[in-house]
Amino acid sequence: MMPSLAAITGIGSVSPHGTLAGLIPPCVEEPEFITAWTTAGMRRAFLVKPFRPASVVPSLKTRRLDRLSAWALVASSLAIQDAGIDLSQFDRSRVAVVFGTGFGCAELTEAFLQSAAANGWSGTDPSPFPEGLANAPASHVALWHGLRGPNITVGSKGFAGETALIQAASLLRHGLADLAIVLAGDTLTRTVYEWYEAAGLLSPACYNSEPLPDGGGFVPSEGVAALVLELAGQRETRAYARFCSGRWSGGSPVSGGRTAETIRQMLGGSLPSLIICAGDGTPCAPGSIADLAREIGGANTEIVPARAVGAGLADAGALLHLILALSSGPRRGKALLLGTSGDGGFAALRLEIP
Amino acid sequence: MTFGRLPLVTDPRINDPRKTIVVTGVGVVSPYGIGLDRLQAGVLSGKCCLVPTKGVYPGFEGTTAQIGDFPPEANVARSRYSRSDRLAMTAARDAVAGLDCDSIALRESGVFMASTVAGLSEIEPGIVADPAAWYRGGGLSRAATYPAACVADAVSENLGIHGPRCAVSAACASSAMAIALAANMLLDGTAPMMFAGGSDALCPFTLSGFSSLQALDADPCRPFDRNRKGLNLGEGAAVLVLETLAGAVERHADVMAVLRGWALTNDAFHTTAPQEQGNGLADCMRVAMEMAGVRGDEIGYVNAHGTGTPLNDVAEASAYQTAFRGRNHPVPVSSTKSYFGHCLGAAGALEAAITITAVRCGALLPTLRLTDPIESPGVNWLRGEVRREPLPLAMSVSAGFGGSNAALIFGSGS
Repeated sequence: MMPSLAAITGIGSVSPHGTLAGLIPPCVEEPEFITAWTTAGMRRAFLVKPFRPASVVPSLKTRRLDRLSAWALVASSLAIQDAGIDLSQFDRSRVAVVFGTGFGCAELTEAFLQSAAANGWSGTDPSPFPEGLANAPASHVALWHGLRGPNITVGSKGFAGETALIQAASLLRHGLADLAIVLAGDTLTRTVYEWYEAAGLLSPACYNSEPLPDGGGFVPSEGVAALVLELAGQRETRAYARFCSGRWSGGSPVSGGRTAETIRQMLGGSLPSLIICAGDGTPCAPGSIADLAREIGGANTEIVPARAVGAGLADAGALLHLILALSSGPRRGKALLLGTSGDGGFAALRLEIP
Repeated sequence: MTFGRLPLVTDPRINDPRKTIVVTGVGVVSPYGIGLDRLQAGVLSGKCCLVPTKGVYPGFEGTTAQIGDFPPEANVARSRYSRSDRLAMTAARDAVAGLDCDSIALRESGVFMASTVAGLSEIEPGIVADPAAWYRGGGLSRAATYPAACVADAVSENLGIHGPRCAVSAACASSAMAIALAANMLLDGTAPMMFAGGSDALCPFTLSGFSSLQALDADPCRPFDRNRKGLNLGEGAAVLVLETLAGAVERHADVMAVLRGWALTNDAFHTTAPQEQGNGLADCMRVAMEMAGVRGDEIGYVNAHGTGTPLNDVAEASAYQTAFRGRNHPVPVSSTKSYFGHCLGAAGALEAAITITAVRCGALLPTLRLTDPIESPGVNWLRGEVRREPLPLAMSVSAGFGGSNAALIFGSGS
């Protein structure tokens, strides 16, 4: 068995559950009506409630930031605060930022396209262009905190969050950073929501006030979750979990049995006591990941099902799923964070919860 | 496996073929055509692909480097794949064509691709007015190519690769970063072989964006020249096949180059402007040299980021001064963006391919149109003719919006 690698020592989140440092208290998952744009009838989603970023990060000026960048700044600050880290005590050239996202700064991309629609391509507004790049939120995190280490923004169908965590751990392992701020998230915009709708991916719960049904689509969500990942044993501090190893595979036509077998091989015959389902990147069949988890786990393995708020984040939901699972009760032992991409791909991250 | 700070993972002092990363294939689509040989012939002959461009959108008149016709097989499923996807798929197929690799090894490989534009090339401004109507009008599948991850998916699907796949977005440093992260993944044992690179299509979105920032030179760009006025955009894709030396030896693969060192840093200075003294970039080069276990004197050539914008080139020149301080002779530097423009998310991989070519051919490439270089005593700005000399080690440097920096050091495969 491989030893523990890196410790998750801080958590921060800006999500439909609120703006929080540390674990997320139990709460009801209830979609809200969309009012940010005109919809053709009732439409619901899990939305981040407006808040004052400056109340979390003193003097933070977010007027010129898109929501994703502002949330990334706030979530990273909360995670650093939760970890009890004084960054002035760190060599900031060795602090990395790794951000996983599905759509990046879709709001600013839309703003730029708005200016093209209004004025033609020759009259576009320059301000949203560079900030609309997917790596802008990670750059703002680096800029705000003065972090000069690797700054990486990754996307991966179904597992942007898992990939961010794996890449961050890899940077620590290879001595390219001593500490990593790992983030994952997305904002919900009209073009994204209506794309889900046109693709037939939405749950009936998006169109009425009924409770969330099992299966039959998903309710889109938004938010950013952040973790502080550092070398295990470097500081005397609490660890929420330790990252041991991770493996992921792109979509393939292999059967579920083969996927389960591959993951069991990775576990080396040591079954986890807990499997956290991190959702399905194209969330049409929420039952499939739980089935896979049951196939991997043993009789004594507790399976934490995917949460609707996390599943609504699609590619970028893994970190929120992990935080919600850690928040849902005292647990310890070997755990597996499991994500699937809906086309046969999977991500499996081995964790230890102390 | 122990966890902690590992010493110089590709340091030759370790001399462990499992920890030495080699390049065994390079696939390229550039304005010179498909294949590394065309890229090589183009840059060695000093051919400039930058031409006056009209008609990309009404009102645009400038200079770009565009790719002409795709091979017919690259045009399949146009509705499913963006132009960036198809460039990437073509480059990846070109990389595989030179590999003597069985399908099982290919299947277990991984893909790490980069793009800044990805499927934005397929999206029109009309999407924002009424997204649902735009999707109903045929935009649904085109919009599905928007995430950068789609480029990695396209390459994986096209080559039948089922290993890990992901995309990195770090503006113009993206594909150099993809190569560095893919090397990390090989050392982690995540996959036996990695296809890493980048792809970006020329499209109204980026042309309009850079034009609105007043960053474009209407004429062919002049990197590192006192009279530089900005950059030109290009398009292309490059994919490197990376594996450990042990893996390459096991399958009797030809080693084209050794990836001796790599590093990633951030300026943490400004979202678009580089730090004036280039400190982040200098740090990046220093860390890459430290990983490679080489001194500044041993780097025979640097393929610069060299966009031709006033701010970038000054900061970059300053970074070379700092990173190579103490060298016996000024470090030879050139920007090959003067040949075919700035290919954004593909730039780092294309320039890595050129750097590998430089090492293999022993050729130090000049910057085109460099007549009055900016003053930088520690730098030998290459200009004029191609200089031929043995080149054991060369570095490729990339930087991007958001303060991202990446440096790759390649050594001779022999």
